[in-house]
Amino acid sequence: MKTSPPRWADRLLEWFCAPHLLEEVQGDLYERFQKNLRVFGPVIARREYVRGVLGFIRPFALKRKPAFSPSFNIQIMISNYFKIAWRNIRRDTQFTFLNLVGLAIGLTSSLLIYLWVNNELNVDKYNEHDAQLFQVLQNIPQENKIETAEYTAGMLATSLAAEMPEITYATAVVPASWFASKGIVNVGETKLKAKGQFVGAGYLKMFSCNFLQGDKNTALNGKHAVAISDELAMKLFHTTQNIIGKSIEWNQNEFNGAYMITAIFEKNQPNVSEPFDILFNFDLFVEKRPGMLDWRNSDPRTYIMLKEGTNIEAFNAKIRNYLKTKEKDSKRELLIRPFADKYLYGQYNNGVQAGGRITYVRLFSAIALFILLIACINFMNLSTAKASQRMKEVGVKKVVGASRSSLVLQYISESVLMSFLAFFIAIGLIFVLLPAFNDITGKNLFENFTPKVMLSMIGITLLAGLLAGSYPALYISGFNPVAVLKGKLRTSIGELWVRRGLVVFQFTLSIAFIAGVMVIYKQINYIQSKNLGYSRDHVVHFEIPLEMDSVKINTAISFINELKNIPGVVNAASYYHNLTGDHGGISGFQWPGKDPTRDFDLANLEVGPNFLETMNIKIKEGRNFSKNPTTEIIFNETAIKQMGLKNPIGKTIKYWDRERQIVGIAEDFNFESLYEGVKPCFFQIYPVMPNVLVRLQAGNEQQTLSRIQQAYAQFNKGMAFEYKFLDDDYQALYVSENRVAVLSKYFAGLAIIISCLGLFGLAAFTAQRRQKEIGIRKVVGATVTNLAFMLSKDFFRLVGIALVIALPLVAWAAKEWLTNFAYRTTIGFEIYLITALSIALITLLTVSYQAIKAALTNPVKTLKTE
Amino acid sequence: MKRTYLGEFEEIVLLTVAILQDKAYGVSITEEIEQQTGRSVSVSAVHAALHRLEEKGMVSSWMGEATAERGGRRKRMFVVSALGNRTLDEIRLLRNRMWEAIPLHIFSTLPV
Repeated sequence: MKTSPPRWADRLLEWFCAPHLLEEVQGDLYERFQKNLRVFGPVIARREYVRGVLGFIRPFALKRKPAFSPSFNIQIMISNYFKIAWRNIRRDTQFTFLNLVGLAIGLTSSLLIYLWVNNELNVDKYNEHDAQLFQVLQNIPQENKIETAEYTAGMLATSLAAEMPEITYATAVVPASWFASKGIVNVGETKLKAKGQFVGAGYLKMFSCNFLQGDKNTALNGKHAVAISDELAMKLFHTTQNIIGKSIEWNQNEFNGAYMITAIFEKNQPNVSEPFDILFNFDLFVEKRPGMLDWRNSDPRTYIMLKEGTNIEAFNAKIRNYLKTKEKDSKRELLIRPFADKYLYGQYNNGVQAGGRITYVRLFSAIALFILLIACINFMNLSTAKASQRMKEVGVKKVVGASRSSLVLQYISESVLMSFLAFFIAIGLIFVLLPAFNDITGKNLFENFTPKVMLSMIGITLLAGLLAGSYPALYISGFNPVAVLKGKLRTSIGELWVRRGLVVFQFTLSIAFIAGVMVIYKQINYIQSKNLGYSRDHVVHFEIPLEMDSVKINTAISFINELKNIPGVVNAASYYHNLTGDHGGISGFQWPGKDPTRDFDLANLEVGPNFLETMNIKIKEGRNFSKNPTTEIIFNETAIKQMGLKNPIGKTIKYWDRERQIVGIAEDFNFESLYEGVKPCFFQIYPVMPNVLVRLQAGNEQQTLSRIQQAYAQFNKGMAFEYKFLDDDYQALYVSENRVAVLSKYFAGLAIIISCLGLFGLAAFTAQRRQKEIGIRKVVGATVTNLAFMLSKDFFRLVGIALVIALPLVAWAAKEWLTNFAYRTTIGFEIYLITALSIALITLLTVSYQAIKAALTNPVKTLKTE
Repeated sequence: MKRTYLGEFEEIVLLTVAILQDKAYGVSITEEIEQQTGRSVSVSAVHAALHRLEEKGMVSSWMGEATAERGGRRKRMFVVSALGNRTLDEIRLLRNRMWEAIPLHIFSTLPV
């Protein structure tokens, strides 16, 4: 007699029943079977068992429980990581605060710099055919170096386009900045200053210029056709509709006259380095300045568009000696560079590309990276220092079965959480700081907040989080659970070295920042206070409209003479170009005893009478211009030296078709930025020029200026009197250095703050760890001074090492940077001494607070618990 | 009236779980129902009802101890949840109210 349920029924049940239900179902059926067995006997019991089993063929018993999905598991794990991270963040507010502030400041600075760098890199990148656009430059051999110039011969574009099959289009461009002053547009009563640019026929086909009205193919046909920007159109006509065919009046030197609007284009993007409001026909420029046809003169820029796939090097080699085919004696060589490189790679040294603004872009990218690195190191240091408090957590997790990778993931997600908290603070800060930052950089960076930029910012944040979390994660997850749970504090020598190494690295960077900023400031100060060879204080300058008819010229001359009689005015004169770098150059001078194989460019300073006196430029030899100066010429010392003239006074010089007699030699003065040494130059006198210079008596400038304004209003009705101080112009010349100085000052400050936050946290941590030791030492008799010294000593040693590493680096970098300047300050020992002292003071302030606090603690408090 | 609908058999199973308190599992519930109603009930029907009740949140369960006659298999023990309790209460109130609403003369003719 069988006393067990039928095997087949059991097997059937085991087969169809869901595994998670099987135990209870089978158990219940067995229990039932046993009871039936006792009451009814085996036959009925077995029959009932089969019926019972069959009864379970129901959906609920058949349905398998969904397998526990691994992705769900990970989701839970990660949400748990964030939960624990959040609890840790809240548990120790001081620690969190230090970490968060450090990271937020680091992110804010590097994201601001990122915005700026991104903007700089996009300047002049607005053209559809960017990759094919090139500028033709010329290398001009000077006495002992090669100068690379942007200005080229007027006919170069046309003849290159005709003779070189690689070129699709070419154009000459005279940018608005070529003129010493802006032009004035005149429509009815409205008078506006505007930037006029002269362009050749190919321009509109080469450069992206969005035409709103008018035809690109026919616009600017005819010498008096112009295209104007929609912005200018709105200002002049208060509409952009039905303006085509209207006429405007233009006032600028020899280009005065009426012009017809043939097209309206969208105003320049903010990333255009040479902006313009009006486009003129270059043919007109040639007509009014026939000198353009002479291959020895260089004025406009030349741009070309090459066919796709052109070999740049081969093309460069091909055009190198092109100018010889036009003018046999020419020593000038042509070269090309990508159009968009004009802004960032503008500097040439002896005919070879030598950086330019890109240097600053790179410098600031490096600063951004370093600041972020310092902030990340802070995070690493504080997190590993704090790790001892989380040893138990790690130990328990490991015992329960957490793998190392899941622990790494946990700690990295913690730092990523922190970095994103910092990111939100940083975004807030950026919006607060951006207006001020815009002021310093002279840009509108709000326009740069594109989705792409935001995405990269999030990427940077993520990267910072990963970087900051990597070392703590690897370090903490490496704990040995047994040792950790026994309560052993494992402070290996290696770990200590890593932490010290990171502090040294941080402070090396901070010290480099401080010293670097001081070097930059010293140089800029030096430049701005250097004696230029003329006196630029209390000199104002302004423009006057000048038309080439004798009556108007005479009124201009009498206006300048009138200015001299105004009380408070020391002297007045007029000149062309300016004293901060823009002026034309002339080669092909003939002088007695000239070596025919040698030639160099001389800067052409076209000035009105009285200029040298007004500027206080001293005459070294000979005399100043006489009352009738048309045949007289004055050179500067450098020019005479380079020409190799002995007894130059009275010698005759030929250039163009002119003959002039040397009457004097002017003492050298700087008419360009101090990147350059003094170049050879000469003065020729014209009756009057469009820029007026007035030297004022110191003291009551405002009064004098209002008198000048009255005179100006009488002379030139309807135009506002706009003047500038020459000193301000000079400052503007070093605007990028000034920016670098101001920005690096701020960023150095931030880097130091972040480093100090880290140091502060570490000092607090050390003091806490050594509580008991301090207590015992106090009981045994150590004084507060002893203890404070003991606690600070280690940190000072680290800062000392950082000084030893950083200062030679800075000294080397400063020397390299200063070679850019023709006139440089001397970097003495004092800068390094000041740096060392200030960093020592900063360290003292940061560390001593914690050290003294720890040393003052009552030992009873720390020793009574064990 | 808003509550989870309980079928008649479900209601009986739930009441039985309540009666058995902490001794409610498949077999004991089956036997109790058989005793109370006098009708034969299959274990699978009780299991199915319990399953549905648990899904509705009327009962909660845990795995109890094993016995020899079950071949060493554990029991799933059931207990009425708070929601189950409230539901039973509501059912009872509803029934009571309706009973009281029946007029007396009809009530007297009803079989007792």
